[in-house]
Amino acid sequence: CLTSTQLVENEEQFQKKLADVIVNAEKDVSVGVRLARRLPLPVENEETRPCIDLVVFIINLSFERSFQSVELSLKYVDPGFFLGKVCFLVTGARCWSVSSDRLQSVRKLATSLRCPLLYAEDQTVEGVNTAAARLLRVLKVTAGLTPWATGLSLSTLTRCTLSSDLEGDFD
Amino acid sequence: MDETTRTVLQRVVRKVPATRLREVLRTWGRVPARQLDLLDFSTSKFVLFEDVRSLCEVNSALTELLMSLFHFIGNPAQGVWRACHLTEPDVELRQFKEQFKARLTELISNVSVKIKKHDDEAVWIRIAWGDHFHRPNQLKPTYVVHHLQTPYVFVYNLSTKHKPLLYQALVLATRHGSMKDSHLSGKSLTSIRDFLMRSYQQAFPTKYARPLQEKNTAPTNPNIEKEHAEQEEKRLQLACEAFGEGNVPRLETATYKLETRYRGSGNETLNNREEPFRALIKFSSANLLVSLNHCVSAGMAETPVTPLLSSITQKGKNYFVITDKGSGNSSQSMVQKK
Repeated sequence: CLTSTQLVENEEQFQKKLADVIVNAEKDVSVGVRLARRLPLPVENEETRPCIDLVVFIINLSFERSFQSVELSLKYVDPGFFLGKVCFLVTGARCWSVSSDRLQSVRKLATSLRCPLLYAEDQTVEGVNTAAARLLRVLKVTAGLTPWATGLSLSTLTRCTLSSDLEGDFD
Repeated sequence: MDETTRTVLQRVVRKVPATRLREVLRTWGRVPARQLDLLDFSTSKFVLFEDVRSLCEVNSALTELLMSLFHFIGNPAQGVWRACHLTEPDVELRQFKEQFKARLTELISNVSVKIKKHDDEAVWIRIAWGDHFHRPNQLKPTYVVHHLQTPYVFVYNLSTKHKPLLYQALVLATRHGSMKDSHLSGKSLTSIRDFLMRSYQQAFPTKYARPLQEKNTAPTNPNIEKEHAEQEEKRLQLACEAFGEGNVPRLETATYKLETRYRGSGNETLNNREEPFRALIKFSSANLLVSLNHCVSAGMAETPVTPLLSSITQKGKNYFVITDKGSGNSSQSMVQKK
């Protein structure tokens, strides 16, 4: 079985680590990982690019530019992807120096697009492995490998919501 | 025209291929340009020679010899060149030592000078300064390093008071016209020397992209693919062209002194001033060139690399004064050498 996911991250740090873990984790499913800093993707690769099952936008809360870059890239995503094939991955949320406004903006964005928002710890090996495992579970659903679920149904269950209380529930 | 000049001219006209002859004659400058255009270079050499000879204002054999020299320089043709090596430059060092000590003690009495030649052709000078009332201060010496075959001098711990004296002594001892500040400074002598003499690994603009295999540290899984690999390679290439690659000399700072007009939007009071907006911008890092290379290759700084940054390696400096140049219609400021 062949699946393919696109990781988009402005800093290009976490995506490499994630990619290494993801491709080595699965034995019975062949996972292709494509890395990019931003969208749009270069036209030259269109011929060879496989069908993308999941697009993951990685936002590092320590950098303002990370979020801005994702906002700009979102314009280039085909609307069909938002029905369960897009998800946001946030790193650095535990860092005390990060302002809560930024996280709030990311949550607002994810809510408005009805996409799931995942949190990841990128500094430790366990953190990377955990994030990779979660992504793989989502990827298997969106690729159609899980018989009882589709990407759309999963994202409906797991999508990000904003509660009125700022300290509110984390997905 | 006397016999020797005639023979030389005849030989040159005969030997030079017709296609190049026009160029050679033009460089020679003895045939007026107008008449040179009228000459028909497709005729036989004999006829050509007569034409050229009649057009020449010949004064001496020297001019013909010069012409044959020009031609030879342009086509150093069939023989074999051999390389030779000047050895034992001790005479030069002795002269330099004597001259320098003499000049400096002329300019300022009560100074202690020690000169030593190092293995790598560098001459080290240690100077302890004193004045009429004090003995030389051995606790705060100035060190000077000079490579005799190069025009470069490196100075450590020189006060502004003694600067003109040292410069004067060096200029006279090395028989040069003048000495000026290179606007390059750093903590490591070997680094700034290598940087100035460009003896570090540089990347030159190439038509063909560097092979990707060079830059991959470990074999990556074939399932992982980078979308923007080509652009990344281009960025890396431009970064290495601008800042060198591999083990580059360690610079710690780059300073830009701005004396330009303020041109931001929004701030009315600053915008309309007549006098320049003075600012000092300083970049510092443990290894500046590596940091700047990373900025460009990671996409943080835009490509092509701005000349403000690439001047660091192009001009071998790390202190720049930037002023406005030209009339008001251009919004670019140019980097000026101070």
